[in-house]
Amino acid sequence: MAKKKRTPSAELVRTEIVEPSANGDGMNATTEPAARKTRTKRNAPNQAAVKKSARAKSPRRARHIMQEPLAEPEEIELPDVQAELEASPSLQRRSRKLAKELLAELEQLAKRIMRLSPAYHAESAIPDEMQETIGENIESVLNGAGAASILARVQKLLPGEMLDTDTLKGMWTMLKFTAQYQADVAKRRLTGDYETDEWGMDQEFVDAVLPFFNFLYNRYWRVSMSGLENIPDDGRTLLVSNHSGQLPFDGAMIGTGILQNHSSARFMRALYASWFPTLPFVSDILTKAGQVMANDENALRLLEQDHLVAVFPEGYKGVGKLYKDRYHLARFGRGGFVRVALKAKAPLIPVAVVGAEETYISLHKSQTLAKLVGFPYFPISPTFPWLGPLGLIPLPTKWYIDIGEPIRTDEYPEGSENNLMLISQLTDQVRDTVQNMLNDRLRMRKSIFTG
Amino acid sequence: MTDERVILVTGVAGFWGNRAAAKLMEQDNVHVIGIDSEPPQTNLEGLDFVQADVRNPLLIELLQEENVETVLHLQFRETLTPSEATFEQNVMGTAKLLGACSEAGVKHVVLKSSTMVYGARPDNPMYLREDHPLNAPKKYGYLRDWIEAEKYAESFRDQNPDATLTILRFGNIAGPKADTPLTRFLRAEEAVTLLGFDPMMQVIHEHDVIAALVHAVNGTYPGTYNVAPEKGMPLWKILGLARKVPLPVLHPLAYWSVSLGGPRLAPLPLDYLRYPCMGDMQKMRDELQFTPQYTPEETVRELASQQRLRKLFGKKSADALDEDRLRDTIQRRKRARTRAGS
Repeated sequence: MAKKKRTPSAELVRTEIVEPSANGDGMNATTEPAARKTRTKRNAPNQAAVKKSARAKSPRRARHIMQEPLAEPEEIELPDVQAELEASPSLQRRSRKLAKELLAELEQLAKRIMRLSPAYHAESAIPDEMQETIGENIESVLNGAGAASILARVQKLLPGEMLDTDTLKGMWTMLKFTAQYQADVAKRRLTGDYETDEWGMDQEFVDAVLPFFNFLYNRYWRVSMSGLENIPDDGRTLLVSNHSGQLPFDGAMIGTGILQNHSSARFMRALYASWFPTLPFVSDILTKAGQVMANDENALRLLEQDHLVAVFPEGYKGVGKLYKDRYHLARFGRGGFVRVALKAKAPLIPVAVVGAEETYISLHKSQTLAKLVGFPYFPISPTFPWLGPLGLIPLPTKWYIDIGEPIRTDEYPEGSENNLMLISQLTDQVRDTVQNMLNDRLRMRKSIFTG
Repeated sequence: MTDERVILVTGVAGFWGNRAAAKLMEQDNVHVIGIDSEPPQTNLEGLDFVQADVRNPLLIELLQEENVETVLHLQFRETLTPSEATFEQNVMGTAKLLGACSEAGVKHVVLKSSTMVYGARPDNPMYLREDHPLNAPKKYGYLRDWIEAEKYAESFRDQNPDATLTILRFGNIAGPKADTPLTRFLRAEEAVTLLGFDPMMQVIHEHDVIAALVHAVNGTYPGTYNVAPEKGMPLWKILGLARKVPLPVLHPLAYWSVSLGGPRLAPLPLDYLRYPCMGDMQKMRDELQFTPQYTPEETVRELASQQRLRKLFGKKSADALDEDRLRDTIQRRKRARTRAGS
């Protein structure tokens, strides 16, 4: 296959894997879809040969310029996730450990959210029979052992100060306080005594989910963010980012990073696609977390209120990208984001997220299944849907988020939002910038998992 | 009636017509004619009541003879299931009334509609402007009739460019007395919501609705306006303020049962429990220059406390504590006394 390999062992591994992960091919796929269809695994070596000559200095380049002046990650070799994972057992161990931590964090998150919407606590949360069984178990243990022996056992297990009356008293007070606090929160939420802003953002909810995203940001994906100084301290700003990773975690990570590290800790509003509001819980959670449905009216209103807004113009095409197409930007929508930015005179800031594209390995998009369940795309990966929800656990890759220099839009004359030429130029400019930033970062990156 | 403004209010036997007429009559130099197919239950002091149907072709003559300047059209039956009878009354009634107005040269018409006509859809902007297409589901009688009536209003506007036609699209109306989709939803035994959905909603108090209608009648505001307090509230917050415990139902199940059992199962169409449908209030602020007095929280709280009162004292004593009822009674006795004296 086309790419250079770092280790012979990795090469061996890769020849065994029959996934179509020839990275260079992805680029071809965007420009020559017809050619891709005829291509099979059998003639892959020929392709590689063609590719090498293309790389040497290509007639292909010229064709690109003829079509669209788009930046392509041509010279960059993309390492393979599976090869890297299988080459290093320590990485496997670590990712397994991180997955466990992720599940624990998720449980915590669910608890915090449940506390905010107590009405979701149906009686069915723990079935009656189960409660009975638990009760019986406890009873049998108590009867069999006898209270005295239990106390003795506990005394043996615990260090001395734990049985000091003052410690116990303190613990009791704390428990009582926590219970009281939780009951208060539940009561307040049930009686509607909380505030949301005009977009439905619920600050208490944001505070509840933030620890989870901080975990993902700091520990799970170990995101390094650069170029934060390009985001102004206030005023309308439109971030434009690449989109990837099957689940829209990239938006959440950009937002978390800015909230954590930016000098004025700005809250970012990401615009999400119109499919999400149709999903139960997802729509609710996105709204409460301050995110907004993507359309021109909402974007303009947010910018006019001087919010920090993020858009992912690739949309489903980007987020549902196949693994072999990673880091090849899809079409940037219809340039609606540029029109809005011109109208609001908001600077466009390109953002490149590296690492998110390897969190899931989508080998195939099943149209039949997508239609069946009503999804815009349905990824088939080595783990999803075979392992059920567990297959949704993303790989703990190392992420980089690079924030580029702002592209000003306030120098264009009034009514520029109707200038189709300008819109397509700016769209291409932003897309090129993001692609170049991706390429730069990919060139520097040595490993998917350790950066 | 020389220099008096003559205002014709339709549907005075109904809730909105009755209250709007009463409010209009509080002003000086105003003569209010109320028409309806049946006499109003509560007698309004000084109301010039004419028993007539708005569809009567002789309405033109009435408008001309009485020199009517402004028509406030509030005859509208909010029924859940679409039916020929209500369509005839709501839509054809509006069409015929508007036709009569244009024929008789009435220069000012005010109509009441709802922001629900935009339809609750997943791709809706959070705040819908007045020029947004009307996509409400046609399965609901009142929604279909509102949209159809607005279409006729549009052609009236085209036909009479110098007339002032004001359409007020109100947010979800609530209040201690009003009978609207939202109050029906909040007064039902169980507040059935869709599991995992919590859309934002705008709530306006019934008094503000009357105030806005009167405001539109007294001024010259051509065009269509959303009217509600701008800030929306999540549905669960509304339920919390109304002291209702929501009963979340899986949405495919809910849609399925409504498609089988018809709209009467859900006083608020399910889409409105799922997606936001809120109006942009910029035009109301800048052009209509109207500000609702009640905050949405106050509105829902008032509704809830009135509910509790009713629960505590039973319907009879709740009525006995009811101010408006007593006021009506005093009026009635006073009228009886003057009649006896003369």
